[in-house]
Amino acid sequence: MKIKKLMRRAEEYLNSDERKRKEKRRYLKQVIRKLRQHEKLLKQELANGPDDDQAQQLKKQILLAHSQRKKGVHLLKTLKKKK
Amino acid sequence: MIRKLVLPTIFAFLAYGFWISSDFKEIAAGVAIFLFGMLALEEGFKAFTGGLLEKILQRTTDKLWKSLSFGIISTTVMQSSSLVSVITISFLSAGLISLAAGVGIIFGANLGTTTGAWLVAGFGLKVKISTYAMPMLVFGIILVFQKSKELKGIGYVLAGLGFLFLGIHHMKEGFEAFKDTIDLTAYAVDGYSGVFLFTLIGLAATVVMQSSHATLVLIITALGAQQITYENALALAIGANVGTTITAVIGSLSANIQGKRLAGAHLIFNAITGLIAIVFIYQLTHLVDSTSALLGIAEDNYTLKLAVFHTIFNAIGVVVMLPFIGKLVDFLQGYLKAEATPEPSKPHYLNKAAFELPDTALAAVRKETLHLYDNAAKIIAGGLSLHLEDIHSEMSLDEMVHKSRKVLPTDIDRQYQDSVKGLYGDIVNYISLAQGQMSSEQTEELFLLRAAGRDIVEAIKDTKHLQKNLSIYLDADNPYIQHEYDNLRKRLASVLRTLHEVRNHGHDSAIILSLDRLKLDMKEHDQNLNNSLSSLIRHDQLSPAMSVSLMNDSSYAYDVTRNLVQMGEILFSNAELQLKEAERSLSLDDDEVSDVVEQHHQHKDKQS
Repeated sequence: MKIKKLMRRAEEYLNSDERKRKEKRRYLKQVIRKLRQHEKLLKQELANGPDDDQAQQLKKQILLAHSQRKKGVHLLKTLKKKK
Repeated sequence: MIRKLVLPTIFAFLAYGFWISSDFKEIAAGVAIFLFGMLALEEGFKAFTGGLLEKILQRTTDKLWKSLSFGIISTTVMQSSSLVSVITISFLSAGLISLAAGVGIIFGANLGTTTGAWLVAGFGLKVKISTYAMPMLVFGIILVFQKSKELKGIGYVLAGLGFLFLGIHHMKEGFEAFKDTIDLTAYAVDGYSGVFLFTLIGLAATVVMQSSHATLVLIITALGAQQITYENALALAIGANVGTTITAVIGSLSANIQGKRLAGAHLIFNAITGLIAIVFIYQLTHLVDSTSALLGIAEDNYTLKLAVFHTIFNAIGVVVMLPFIGKLVDFLQGYLKAEATPEPSKPHYLNKAAFELPDTALAAVRKETLHLYDNAAKIIAGGLSLHLEDIHSEMSLDEMVHKSRKVLPTDIDRQYQDSVKGLYGDIVNYISLAQGQMSSEQTEELFLLRAAGRDIVEAIKDTKHLQKNLSIYLDADNPYIQHEYDNLRKRLASVLRTLHEVRNHGHDSAIILSLDRLKLDMKEHDQNLNNSLSSLIRHDQLSPAMSVSLMNDSSYAYDVTRNLVQMGEILFSNAELQLKEAERSLSLDDDEVSDVVEQHHQHKDKQS
């Protein structure tokens, strides 16, 4: 049984499509994490009470980072489904 | 004429040698197999130069001791100082490392190469090395047939080592058998004339074989079989060390001035080290004797003593030259001068030496396309009648646009011909030549870089369309049209400024993606303009002709922005390929940008 499991693992590893998909997910997660941090930072800045113009700019940037992150999460899901 | 005769002469000489002595044949075949092993080893290491290379290099070469250790370790692992120096030259030409770091790596490589002598002398001659070679070859070749790039790489490295060992084995066998028929030691020459003669022989052998390693192994096996005297072997080793620089010099021929300087540094280092070794050869021999005694090496174990000598004389070279590394760099920069000011239209980073190393070639193309952008940004700023230095400064954009009321005479067509078209042509040409060696991911990146170049060209062309009306309305009597065009100029100046900031920010995926905000701003501006336009016409503040110009130019400005943002997202990210791909997959397309704009409006409406 153990050998069978090992064989399956090895096959999975050598199957480059599978590996590429996993790698893609990993990098995607990394970018999404960065976007989340960025969004948080912008929200903090907004909470500090900037003037109206700046607040509008910040809101726009938050919206943008959020949309990009949503796009990423959606992409992540489709990559998971393929399994 | 002489060139044409060299190859047939070598062939004839070898064939004659093979005919009269089967032992000579075995030695020569050993050398051939050894060199083939080096080729396989190089092929294998190329498979592992993927992705992280640029990062590792930046981290490992920022201080002298780091670049020195990088040279030592990489040469020890790859067992070829020539390969390391050729790679270093291509790194330098592609602008990945500084000249001082490159010189450090070369110094380190000279120390690293000495480990080869230790391996062969200490291990290769005592153990029956061919017993290790056979399984390595079999496992290696099976792996070479695998699909995965990594496994293939491991296969080449394994097979390469197998061939190296097999080559050493045949050389050893050949010399052992040779001993019974001919005594080469009869040709030994004593004294300084012998030192010079054998140094030259070592140099010539290394130039022919393109590998000091092969020469050194040959020397050690011959010495092990007592076919050459110890003194002559030392001289041969000195010659081999000088000869190895020839590979670097050949490698630098197609490199830019920086690469040539590095090859110069390599030549100077090895020549001076060689000279020191020749002048002080007797003192060095004493030093080797006492060091060997300290290390517990037997008095008559000449092969290990040769390894000690090789290490000591290279170490002396490094110790002597290290304090002068700054002077050496200055000297090379003074002696091998770059063209007075590098022409903006000429490529600065593209070099043929990088073809063999896909990542370095990619880095070179990226840097060159950034150079293309620098040229283009000047033209675009000029087209807006603004100075690029002002845009990149801290000056408020409002103030800048209001102050510059004079049309800057910018002949976009001529400037495009002078500093963009030719350079872009060179980049495209380089890309088509470089893609042969690349993996599919790398080729894709290459095509994206080419597309980034096209985006830059498109942005210039759109700016040219803009420029016509902009020059007319820059100082117009009608304050409304002037105001609208000022807005356009301000928007585009802000695009150039943001691109400049993001480029210099250092890598962060979120910052690269924040470039999409520029598309958002421009889209919003376009929509606001459409809203205000009807009212401006209704109140007779703009003529219909003016409003048509304004609408067209606003869409040109959006195109310029879109092209430049697209370019920035490809060009400004210096992450690994997969991370870049992930970043790009999250960048918003036109429809998504419109959605976000709408959402933003809804938010605003809710608040008011």
